[in-house]
Amino acid sequence: MTTTALPSAARTRRRFSGPRTRRRLAPYLFVMPFVVIFLAFSVYPLIFTARLSFTNWHGTGAAEWVGWGNYAYLLSSPAFWSSLGNSAVLWLLIVPVQIALAVIVAVLLDSAKLRLRGMYRVAFIVPFVTPLVAVAQIWVVLFDQDHGAVNALLGAVGLPDIGWLTTSAWSKPTLALLFLWKTTGFIVIILLSGLQSIDRSMYEAADLDGASPARQLWSITVPLLRRTIMFAVVLQTLAVFQMFAEPFVVTQGGPYNSTTTAGYYLYNHITRADLGTGAANSFLLVILVMILSLAFVRLLRAKD
Amino acid sequence: MTTPTVLDSAAGPEQAPSLSRPSTPRRPRRSRPRIGTHAFLLVLLVAFLAPVAWAIVSAFKPANDIIRDPLGFDPSAFTLDNFAAMFHDVPIGQGFLNTAIVLVAKGAITLFFAPLAAYAFAKYDFAGKNLIFGAVLVTLMLPTIVLIIPLLLEMKTFGWVNTYQALILPGSVDAFAIFWMRQVIAAVPDELLDAARVDGCGEFGIFWRVVVPVIRPGLAGLAVLTIMNIYNDFVWPVIVASSDRMATLQVVLSTLAQNITGNRIGADYATVTGELLAASSIALIPLLVLFIVLQRHFINGILAGSVKG
Repeated sequence: MTTTALPSAARTRRRFSGPRTRRRLAPYLFVMPFVVIFLAFSVYPLIFTARLSFTNWHGTGAAEWVGWGNYAYLLSSPAFWSSLGNSAVLWLLIVPVQIALAVIVAVLLDSAKLRLRGMYRVAFIVPFVTPLVAVAQIWVVLFDQDHGAVNALLGAVGLPDIGWLTTSAWSKPTLALLFLWKTTGFIVIILLSGLQSIDRSMYEAADLDGASPARQLWSITVPLLRRTIMFAVVLQTLAVFQMFAEPFVVTQGGPYNSTTTAGYYLYNHITRADLGTGAANSFLLVILVMILSLAFVRLLRAKD
Repeated sequence: MTTPTVLDSAAGPEQAPSLSRPSTPRRPRRSRPRIGTHAFLLVLLVAFLAPVAWAIVSAFKPANDIIRDPLGFDPSAFTLDNFAAMFHDVPIGQGFLNTAIVLVAKGAITLFFAPLAAYAFAKYDFAGKNLIFGAVLVTLMLPTIVLIIPLLLEMKTFGWVNTYQALILPGSVDAFAIFWMRQVIAAVPDELLDAARVDGCGEFGIFWRVVVPVIRPGLAGLAVLTIMNIYNDFVWPVIVASSDRMATLQVVLSTLAQNITGNRIGADYATVTGELLAASSIALIPLLVLFIVLQRHFINGILAGSVKG
């Protein structure tokens, strides 16, 4: 880097002494607007959260230093663990189904010979570009127990009504359906890009050996796509554990806190002005999310 | 590619089957599952489009029909009453206006300053470069909710709660945009920049007249992703600017949902449902249209947004 930069810098100095100074100063000017915004709205709040998490501040008056008190309180609080539990159940309902479905769809769409593949691809992405709040509201109406279209459909085929949003047994699957519907097309797009890097000749060889399409999917595509799949898993794990807007709009965390996700529980501290606990909660969530991501990355490395 | 051995190994396996057995190997993979494939994909397609299509169609039904017969549609009963009621009851026009203002300002700030800073990170050496960029990488991994409490307090200190600044500045020129644009600009050949420099182009001129035109596809992807994120953003706006005057479109929408779940005492369920579907349909349309027009950029943007982030 430096050896190649030196001659041109020397040449520049000889020929234009003004521009050389400008060249030295330019990068500072270029990054300045970003750095100001970054310091003000990312770095400073982050440091502030760290400090806040050790106090019992409620937004007014003096903050009292409570040491690890907020962390100890949360770690021994059943509500905190139940919010993590709710997120874990949602993860189980969402991620395995989504990855399996997305792999199959991506493989089908990857075939250049498939007719209408452009149409399918566009249709599957539509949910991802629609505003979450609008869609979440449509969910509320669609899954209404007494007047919703979903129960009307079930009734038409002779099945009983389900309390999608009103029973704690069904509230999580209903949210999971929303999440699956909204983001599966996104995962399909990611997997499609991964598929593009697979050498076609492997399939030709497998065809020669008489391997069935299912066998090829399992023995060639999935192993070669492992990196992309793991990436999608990490991405969706982060998204599921931070899930906030879905329960906020659809269920307000209910019924009986069954959809109080980790992200929604954090928000509860804010509405109660319990800012110290909220800050500690957000750090615990960050740590958890990082541990989960690292675990998945390890899993990926272990097999390489 | 230049050496014959590489060429051989790349083309070898592909050529071998076509020489020995021209057509047989491909047939089982291609023709057999075609009908099943389309059936499966069509079912999914219907499932993916049905909720949106149902909402848009239902928005034009009389409110009582939506809840009495959610699956039926009687064209003779077509009505705009839900839209009229919704415009009357909630400040959706103001919501659109606020979203538009935030979109233009925040979008412009991000799309100008992010590539500019990324250019400095990619093509210059300066003190603190690695430190700042390391911090950018750390923020990329942090969930945004961590920052919400202190950001809200900061807004209160500045007196910015329920202002456009609060909606526009935090989250603009985000770490991801810097990260992605740095990757894009790093691929621009240094020779191009040096040539412009020798021709007497100023440092900003190099960015504006050489770098920006070259990275236009990446910028288009960033633009689309940024527009989508700003238009759909909800968590920060609902926390910092939920007054009627400042509420963005998404915040206005969310208040309707809360009416349904019982916060608005005495509200007629059918009326609120009709309003809600009307509002949701209207909110869906701008992005859907944009998406259909700019499909390729959307997919590029979404892809880069995930793979690099």
